[in-house]
Amino acid sequence: MSCKEALQTQAYLDGELKGAEAAAVERHLETCAECQALAADAADLSDALRNATHYRAPDPLRHRLKKELEREVRHSPARRFWQGAASGVGASALAAGFALFVLLPPSAATLSQSIVDAHSAALTGGKTIMVASSNHHTVKPWLAAHAGISPPVTDFADQGFTLTGGRTDEVAGSRAAVAVYAHGNHEVDLFAWPANGAQLPEAGIARGFRMAFWKSGDLNYAAVSDVDAVAFQKFVALVKAQRE
Amino acid sequence: MDDRRRRFEAQALPHLDAAYNLARWLSRSPVEADDIVQDAMLRAFRAFDGFRGGDIKAWLLTIVRNCWLSAGKATRRRGHTSLEDEELTAPESDPEATAIQSGAKRRLDAMIAQLPEEFREVLILREMEDMSYREIAEVTGAPIGTVMSRLARARATLRETARDCL
Repeated sequence: MSCKEALQTQAYLDGELKGAEAAAVERHLETCAECQALAADAADLSDALRNATHYRAPDPLRHRLKKELEREVRHSPARRFWQGAASGVGASALAAGFALFVLLPPSAATLSQSIVDAHSAALTGGKTIMVASSNHHTVKPWLAAHAGISPPVTDFADQGFTLTGGRTDEVAGSRAAVAVYAHGNHEVDLFAWPANGAQLPEAGIARGFRMAFWKSGDLNYAAVSDVDAVAFQKFVALVKAQRE
Repeated sequence: MDDRRRRFEAQALPHLDAAYNLARWLSRSPVEADDIVQDAMLRAFRAFDGFRGGDIKAWLLTIVRNCWLSAGKATRRRGHTSLEDEELTAPESDPEATAIQSGAKRRLDAMIAQLPEEFREVLILREMEDMSYREIAEVTGAPIGTVMSRLARARATLRETARDCL
């Protein structure tokens, strides 16, 4: 590569640039054939790499790790006290987490914490989906019946976000409906819960997950995922657009 | 369950696949990847009280990379050879129906595995783990400018190899 803007173009394609910097690259891309080729190649390469092996931790390793962690804490004085409180990573850890939240009025920080806890607890426990369906006519009524909340549910498969199902969850003590989407190997959770006047957090990253919050009608929404910034913004834009 | 362990499992275990994927691509060996990840997760757990918020995925992957580096040094001292590229030499025993597709996948995996380490790691972190430049800089301990140029080199190398191979 010989164009001196190539690294900047790459940064733009990787979703690293915003505002004026992004606009400058867009202007540059209109006239620079080399960077246009770079952009096309980068997209091809990203597509190709989706087919490369994404290794997953083998189950025996997972089990061994749990045992090792257990051994690590065996002599902890606090163990007996907590033993009765929670005995698994999935539902009971979630319950223990939320027991704390319901005592507090949900602040912006609590909401943000609560969303990441719920998302990662679901991922860890392998319980992200309670109703598996790519059909919004199935997911929407299921959520209405089980969460008592009926947010709009749309499949964005054509735009790269495939509806895979839904579940009920809790956000800072409120019952929430969650629509679950797949983007490549990544999961995107869309939470909806009744707006109760609590202040919503700013969009941001916590523990490796991106989050965005907004209110529409009488529902609060939160999107959470570990997809890249560009994909995440695209998803949020798609969801917001479906409501207009 | 112990509160610290509960918090650790809730925060760290969702990134176990990412930890394993990085260890597997760095070491190019399933046996070594297992050891590296187990070592890294236990080290992370012991150091968890010192983790003051921030990005836990980047924090964990930094520990994974450090464990890989120290495992590599130990292996070299003992004079062992790496188990790398085992899948490149594995006999083609796939059913005919999937042979073409899996053959292309294997070639792609082989091309990534053959990239020099410093290119391979930034490529995996960016393309598979969707990490930002800042996060990759944190994990690899390299300045952002270096991350950018390594990423560009990794992609250019892969494109050239792909043109020759695919």
